[in-house]
Parts: sequence; structure tokens; C-alpha cells
Amino acid sequence: MTTIALSPPRRAWLIVAGQELRDLWLGGRGLALTLAFSLLLSVMTYLTATNSVLNFLEQRESVNLTLQVAVAVGALLVLLGAADALSGERERGTLESLLLAPVHRLELVVGKGIAALSLWLVAFAVSIPYIWFLGRGVGLVGTALGAGFLVGSLLALFLAGLGLLLSSVAGSNRVSLSVALFLLFAFFAPTQLPSGAQQGWAGDLFIRIDPFSSGLHWLGKVVVDAHSFSQDASWLASPVVAAGLALLGALGAARFLALRGGGQ
Amino acid sequence: MKRSGLMLVAVILAAWFAASAQALTVGLDRSSVETNIGHRFTFVSTIANTGSTTESGLVAHLNVLSDDPGVYVDPEDWSSNRTRYLPALAPHQTLRVTWTVQAVNSGQFAVYVAVLPRHGPGPITTSPPLRVAVAERRTLNSGGVLPLVLGIPALIGVAAVGTRRRGR
Repeated sequence: MTTIALSPPRRAWLIVAGQELRDLWLGGRGLALTLAFSLLLSVMTYLTATNSVLNFLEQRESVNLTLQVAVAVGALLVLLGAADALSGERERGTLESLLLAPVHRLELVVGKGIAALSLWLVAFAVSIPYIWFLGRGVGLVGTALGAGFLVGSLLALFLAGLGLLLSSVAGSNRVSLSVALFLLFAFFAPTQLPSGAQQGWAGDLFIRIDPFSSGLHWLGKVVVDAHSFSQDASWLASPVVAAGLALLGALGAARFLALRGGGQ
Repeated sequence: MKRSGLMLVAVILAAWFAASAQALTVGLDRSSVETNIGHRFTFVSTIANTGSTTESGLVAHLNVLSDDPGVYVDPEDWSSNRTRYLPALAPHQTLRVTWTVQAVNSGQFAVYVAVLPRHGPGPITTSPPLRVAVAERRTLNSGGVLPLVLGIPALIGVAAVGTRRRGR
């Protein structure tokens, strides 16, 4: 009698990532999201380039505005992908076969995270010509793209971790996505207070705590005020910490990934 | 006699107030600026105590106004830090205050700094105006942007349709 031991293949996360990338990009969902993203950037770029009445005062501010939208929306695409990654499988009834596959759950989550992060990379690539068009002539393109890639990648890692964490415990896509968006808005809400209320240590703290606000604030300092990358680096603390915590949380939750949501 | 005495006191008081009003002077490091809309510029005001007593509790405030009655100016848009609470100024001491301003309207403007005491009716000392000429914003190449804003979504759309057809 022969016993066959099914051991996980080496670097199974690469196999999972490859499969997920094929599903995302050849299945059409990734391209549809990218198309919507490019339409948004097209409208933004057209308005900033042509409409003198709008309050986009100078070229640096035009670049900054478009770059901030590209970074924020590009990172949000990652959240959409990550929040669907596991709860979507659960909802479609395909998680069981995935859990039975000879792949560690950790590698499963890593592979799905890589696929979700690819949405940000493609969004960033799409935004390059728009930023080039708006920033050419003022020697701003390289700096803006470098800073945008740095902040966007940190935010994308944060949202990928958050999405995967929620997706691994939520019973449905609707739950994981709505909770993730609620958390984002909860972080973001204090930054919408009137400017007077944002003065002082409390207002400053709110902006520094929110990874989005602090990351985009740093981006504005680099692009509009021509500060060096290191000059206001403390503003990147929140995105770095948030990305680290969210990824650790997602990897930790992967160990308890179960067929039903809520760890059942 | 009594009336002339009162007049004398009034004259002395007026002279004293006038003298204290002149104890401060406010100057600017330049008289005019030419810039483009959206650009920031910096100028320095020098506040000098020319009197013989220490001046304390002073506030310097930046103001912006348009030469054109048809142009609305919101000074908060020009500078978010328009009020500075100054330290005490000893006799013959000067203080330099730097102001950074962003030109958010086009046209001809005047910017000036006023210095006044935080409390009480004291006099307001103002600087000479800084004349600011702000040129209209040049829009970017509106014709050149069209191929970009139409071309990229079109390329992605074609790729999406092609991928979907191949998938069937």
C-alpha cells in the first residue's frame, strides 16, 4: 500500500498569486476598474489643464491635486480587491476547495494580497502620463511620481492588509467592504472639520493619525512646497505604522481563516 | 481762563497721543511685487520702537485689498497666518516679521501691515502699501491634453473588450 503525502508546493504563494492575477486581469474586473480610474483622471486632468476659473492656481497645485486623487483612488482600488479576496470566495462557495488545497493559509492570503496590490501598480502606471502632462516644464515630474509612488504604496499596503483582515473574518463581501469603508471614513471625518477646529494640537493629531490625511499632507509638502523627501518625513509615520499593523493583522488572521465568517 | 486751561490740557494730551503714535514705525523691505496667480512671495516688515519707553502687547496684522472695486478679496486665502503677537519692543529696538503670501487673484492689489495694541484704544500704525501686480494664470495646453485624456481610457477600453472577447 502506497501512501501519498500531499505536501504544500514550494512558494505556493506564487502559484496562488499567479492564479489570482489571471482571474483579476484576464477575467476583466481589473481592467474595468482601471478604465473607471483612467476616466476619472482624464476628467481631472482636462479640467485642471483648461479651466482657468477653477481654483487650481498653479502648475504645482494642479499636479498635486491630480496626484492625490490618483494615489487615493488607486489605493482604494486595492481595498476593493482585498475586501473581496476571501469573503468573496466564501460568498461564492469556493472557499472550501481553496482551504482543502495543499497550501498554507498564510500563503493563500499572501497570494491574494499580491493580486490586490497589482491594482495599485497598474493604477500608478496609468497615472504617469497625466502627471507628466501636468508637471512638465517645471521639473516636477520625477519628484511627483516618486513621492506619489511612495505614499500610494504605503496606503495600498495598509488597505490591502485592512481588506484582507476584514475579508478573512467577514461572512460576505458586503460586510467586509462596508466595514472597511466605514473605518476609512471614521479616520477621515476629523479632517473635514472647519479649518479653525483643525488648528492646535488636537487638529494636528487627527491629521497625523489618519494615514490618508497625513500621507497626502506629506505629498502636498513635497509637490507644492518643494520640500525634500526627508523634510517632513514624520508625516509618513502614520501610513508606515498603519501598513505594518494592517499587514500583521491580515497575516495573523490568516491562521484562523475558516469556512464560515467570524471564525466559525 | 478756565476754558483756556482746559484747551491747554487738551492740546498737551493730543500732542502726547500724537507723540506715542509716532513712537512706532512700520516699514517694508520693498514697495512692489510682480508675480503670477498662484505663486507665493515673501516680504519682510520692520517694526521699530522709536520712542523712549518699552512698547508691549502689540499685534501686527496683514491686510490685502484690491485696487479694482470689482475684485473680491478674501485675505484668508492670501495668507493663513495674518496675525502675529509681538514681543515687547525696548526703546530703539526693531523687530523683523516675515510674511508669506499667496497671490490668489489676478490684478492690482495693495498689501500692508498694521500694528496696534492688543488692548485699549491705542493708535494703529501702518506700513506703506506693498503694490502687488498679479498676472493672469496661463492655462496649460488645452489642445494638447485632448489626445491624452481621450487616448488612455480608449486604450484601456480596447484592452478590456479584447480580454473579455478572448475569455468567451
